[in-house]
Amino acid sequence: MHRAADPQPALNQSPLALPREKAARVGFGLRVPHYDAILSNGLRSDFAEAISENFLGRGGRAFSVLERVRSDMPVSLHGVSLSIGGLDPLNESYLDQLGELAKRIAAFSVSDHLCFGTFGGHYAHDLWPLPYTEEALLHVVERVQRAQDRLGRRLLLENVASYVQYRASNFTEAEFVSEVVTRADAGLLLDLNNVLVSATNHGFSAQQYLRALPRERVQQIHLAGHSDAGAYLIDDHGSPVPAAVWRLYEESVGLFGALPTIIEWDERLPELSVLEAEADHARSLCNAQLVRQ
Amino acid sequence: MTERSMSLAELQRYFASAATSGSGALPDLDRVFTSSERLPARERLAIYNRAYFYRLLDALASVFEQTKRVLGDSEFERLGLSYVAQHPSMHPAVERIGRSFPEYLQSVATPGFVVDLAALEWARLCALVAGNPPSIAQLAAIEPSRFPHARLRFVPSLYVLELDPHALSAFAGVVSALPAGQPSARCGVAVWRSQHAVHHQSLEAAEWQALASALSGATLSRVCTAFDRGSPDEDVRRAFQVLSGWFARQWLESIVYQQATPETSG
Repeated sequence: MHRAADPQPALNQSPLALPREKAARVGFGLRVPHYDAILSNGLRSDFAEAISENFLGRGGRAFSVLERVRSDMPVSLHGVSLSIGGLDPLNESYLDQLGELAKRIAAFSVSDHLCFGTFGGHYAHDLWPLPYTEEALLHVVERVQRAQDRLGRRLLLENVASYVQYRASNFTEAEFVSEVVTRADAGLLLDLNNVLVSATNHGFSAQQYLRALPRERVQQIHLAGHSDAGAYLIDDHGSPVPAAVWRLYEESVGLFGALPTIIEWDERLPELSVLEAEADHARSLCNAQLVRQ
Repeated sequence: MTERSMSLAELQRYFASAATSGSGALPDLDRVFTSSERLPARERLAIYNRAYFYRLLDALASVFEQTKRVLGDSEFERLGLSYVAQHPSMHPAVERIGRSFPEYLQSVATPGFVVDLAALEWARLCALVAGNPPSIAQLAAIEPSRFPHARLRFVPSLYVLELDPHALSAFAGVVSALPAGQPSARCGVAVWRSQHAVHHQSLEAAEWQALASALSGATLSRVCTAFDRGSPDEDVRRAFQVLSGWFARQWLESIVYQQATPETSG
């Protein structure tokens, strides 16, 4: 039996009050091809992550999977369509459904991406990068605060992988991310694969990026694979976590402690046992790093 | 206007245009985005452009699997990309991009049975993801004395369509080319989810009529007129058989008994 979910702190609590983990806690994302196996055998995991949009307002097999997993372990909700940096009004109906689902399953965290993904009332279903400007910063901070108020809980925001940079930017990505989560009193879901992909595509240091982040705001980690297109890396979540991301993970444990960690895999999805092996590896790296410290 | 003076709104609109344009790169990309020798801005934006169209096309293909098989990969891609360009997503869940795909296929003169096949696949998706009903009604819950005035409330995952029967054969993989000869008479088809699986089934004319009537809120006495063939015993037997089938397939959420409205005097 797994431990119960740690409740997300209320908005008026400082994330500094969050206890740091004393040992690795690693899980992976729920994906449709695994549903039958999960319903039959459950998951071998410390916690699980559900893509919010795959469960909002749904019944049937999806909801049975979520209920089954939630009866065994904590579940985090991770969205892709909030468009926190977008210009379209925040979708309040979406936020209300998300808040309801989070309450219903006592989600231990609710996260989405620091990007925009809506335009003129339409959804891109992609994670488009923001310009890192003062105007964008103020815009995003205000929307994060409104979303958190609507949800009644703190949001975690994930750094995205990107392939372009705006000439108008006057912050580095690490500065912008840090300012947003600090000013909005949000948490950071640090995707180490995204850091590596963006660092490679734009020519900055992933290590310096990690060191520039506010330690107390980093609350969760994502690990994933990418593919090499020659001139750039693509964040496709279609392969094992590569060595360079594992090295960043060890470094992040040194910097931020043992944080709840998710293995993400979307393309060319393997059997659950492969994900379990990746999670085992993350646990052992994290625990070894904690011993060294 | 210089790129430094562009507002957040202008930058986002510019990015969205570049990422969703079906007609090649926008001018001035290099003034808005950084380039490198290894990867110019044009190629960087092209990554987002390809991802936008092919992610949505993949979402369509995952819903309209049999439609794609019948149309063929290249024709499905041609129609799908054209559809996505004209019908951007309006919903946070990506598979909802397919909501108007059957109508779009009809508008571009796709054979009728393929349009209906797409409609069937869309209904199957809707049934798959529909919310769970708060309850499932049991046949035994019917109160015989109030039966005539009862109305039926159906579960959210039940859909009723009117289709060319060739669409059903095409779904089953029996028909993949345009059927020869006269078009077949259209039939009623029920699509529903039972436990975790989605099913569909064609309905004989009386059941289709009765179901349409019940879905529109008619009382059971009215619904049962669909089985009136002038042979009372046989008509009642058939009505009972059909209604029992609706309960057995878990199509019914509840039975609603309403008080008779007192007649008002003028």
